[in-house]
Amino acid sequence: MKDESELDLIFPRDHNETSEQRPYLGMVVGGSLSQGLIVKLDASEFPGGIIEQLAIGSYVVIQGLTGRRFFCIVTDIALEHTNPALEANPPSENDVFSAEIYRSTVAYGRASIAPMLVLEQDEEKPKPVKTIPAHFSIVAHANEQDVANVFGTEDEHHFHIGSPLEMDDVHVNINLNRFIERSSGVFGKSGTGKSFITRTLLAGIVKSAKASCLIFDMHNDYGWAVRDERGREYKGLQQLFHANRVNVITLDPKTSQARGDRHDGALRIPYDAIEPEDVAMLEGVLALSEVQVNALYFLRRRLGKSWFQKLMSDDDNDREELDKYVSEGELIKGTLGAIQRKFELFRRMEFLQERVGDDIIEDIFHKLNAGTSIVLEFGTFGDSLPAYMFVANYLTRRIHRHYVAAKNIASGRQGDDPRPLMIVIEEAHKFLDPEIAQHTIFGTIAREMRKYNVTLLIVDQRPSGIDDEVMSQIGTRVTCLLDNEADIRAVFSGVSGASALREVLARLDTQQQALIMGHAVPMPVVIRTRDYGENLYADLGHVTNADPETNVKHAKEGLFED
Amino acid sequence: MNNSVPHIPIGRLLRSTTVGFTFGCSVPEPEVPLFGDFVKAPAQHGQSEVIGLISDILIEDDPFVRQLIAAPDLPEAYIQDQRKNRQVPIEVSVLTIGYRRNNAVFQELPPQPPMTLDYIQRCEPEEIATFTGSHDYFALIINTPDTSADELLPAALQRAAKARPADERRFFMLQAGKELARLLANDLPRLNTLLRRIQVIP
Repeated sequence: MKDESELDLIFPRDHNETSEQRPYLGMVVGGSLSQGLIVKLDASEFPGGIIEQLAIGSYVVIQGLTGRRFFCIVTDIALEHTNPALEANPPSENDVFSAEIYRSTVAYGRASIAPMLVLEQDEEKPKPVKTIPAHFSIVAHANEQDVANVFGTEDEHHFHIGSPLEMDDVHVNINLNRFIERSSGVFGKSGTGKSFITRTLLAGIVKSAKASCLIFDMHNDYGWAVRDERGREYKGLQQLFHANRVNVITLDPKTSQARGDRHDGALRIPYDAIEPEDVAMLEGVLALSEVQVNALYFLRRRLGKSWFQKLMSDDDNDREELDKYVSEGELIKGTLGAIQRKFELFRRMEFLQERVGDDIIEDIFHKLNAGTSIVLEFGTFGDSLPAYMFVANYLTRRIHRHYVAAKNIASGRQGDDPRPLMIVIEEAHKFLDPEIAQHTIFGTIAREMRKYNVTLLIVDQRPSGIDDEVMSQIGTRVTCLLDNEADIRAVFSGVSGASALREVLARLDTQQQALIMGHAVPMPVVIRTRDYGENLYADLGHVTNADPETNVKHAKEGLFED
Repeated sequence: MNNSVPHIPIGRLLRSTTVGFTFGCSVPEPEVPLFGDFVKAPAQHGQSEVIGLISDILIEDDPFVRQLIAAPDLPEAYIQDQRKNRQVPIEVSVLTIGYRRNNAVFQELPPQPPMTLDYIQRCEPEEIATFTGSHDYFALIINTPDTSADELLPAALQRAAKARPADERRFFMLQAGKELARLLANDLPRLNTLLRRIQVIP
């Protein structure tokens, strides 16, 4: 047992700390940097008690012999014994005396902990760990000050996303600069709170004005108010920010109006703007064969911009023109028929129209570049995966093209860098499937990182369906509960020391808990996500039920924000 | 160190080695000497006190007993006379578990054993409580080859527990049990037996 005076030597009571604030846990008895450290849990005060109170994912601090302080995360807890015969001959259930003695000697608790950061003596900023503490170093619970030191304070670059488990007063702040610097992902099973975390993250990004977001809002989760499973209503991004910061564009104005949502425009896509590449990405969903996809390119080459319109047309002249290619042997009749049958799907997409007045792509690009985030609401089309994929692909290809052009101009010093853009897609595994990720715009964006100031925020429940190469490029991973082994493996691909965190991930609560790791946080952290409610609204500058004058004042202030 | 003759000597030393000694006494009282008692004997000309546990009590016969044993209808007066005026002393073996010098307690073998005919004295409860404040002497007991250590240790611990206030006894036994578990982690049957013996405090 460590008496208080010995602990005082190891953890001096500077910074007003006491040993009560950093309770003793045990000592390092083995392990390695790659596999994690083994800690024999102390049993002197309350045999067996520490093991029941130690939660997986909680933080511990190890005081090294050289003044270094190691920050670690608990990754596993186990019951051990020094004599295997104990399993065969445990003390009888009435023998409380022997059981208490065994629990503190022959039988003991063992914790596996992963060292993450090290604070060198006389330094304030922790660094990634490259060494491990010596044998028998003392392990203690991290106190709130320790954790707060690691995750910094909330400022213009850091956004409060939640609190470590059992440390409600400590804020975990993600580094927004780093979050948008690379593509990021929010993963988790259905109903684990992905949308709420994503909305919170997006609110942080919009507030910071560090990037614009283009959000393909499949289930109408982000733009306007949403209700949770219990029927409580939460504000969407458009309600929280001024109109010059968030615009909602809808594909389905009727539904938006019926819901009472405010929207800033409707997306209409003209037939003649559609390119074979926009459709080719749907080959899996539409069951297009390679021959049929090639036929699309052939028709585009021969018919020009009106190829899509002619395929969709009921006009006799258009049909005759297509039949001509069949009769001339350039196109197989069966192929053409199959394409036309499969294209029937597009007739149900009312946002596809033969003629459209304004070029909304240009408008969206300018808004994004001016710092206005765009939420694209799908309304009832959100239930149609082909519609979602088609629109996301269509818009992203063109916006990306604008960004590439703008970036190239900026490289030639003839213009400014375009404002960083984060494209948010749901059901990402459909876009980033290993078979198509190499060819789609989303695979390209994920791989090229921030070369053209465009990154992805992928929201998905099946990360195992996402191409490995794309996953390896995901900088920050926010992961809610996952229990499928393949999905867990996918989330940890390319993360060093990941095996230690697997158990942490599999033990998350079903709601409001997430494991954040990667580029935007100094070390992996399990958080209870911040409540999405009035406090968050207030932090974002939103004034609930304010009088009209205040609203006008805020709106004016918003006009001149960066 | 107090060199005066003890007030309640329970015997005089017959023979000794570093690891133990034997003293003799005449007639045992109901409470003295007892198996597992803590006793002390002066050593190094009174510079130190060897502390040990009574590990065996030997009552030998003598020629007169042999004659009496065969006599029919032995009167009670003869029996009592033989017991009180024994020709051969009762031999009490003591296992050394430490020593005391300059008020410091050492739970290890003493530098010198006590000398013959030295008075042997029973330890007072305060002395027992002080000596048993740590448990390093367990190793001297359980590693001894020729003593019934598994009997001696529980008996000694019971004495040590009784030397403490009632509300401290269970904690004392728990600490003792933990030390035993550390020493006998690889011998669970023996440990089990010992733990069962020490958990009931009479």
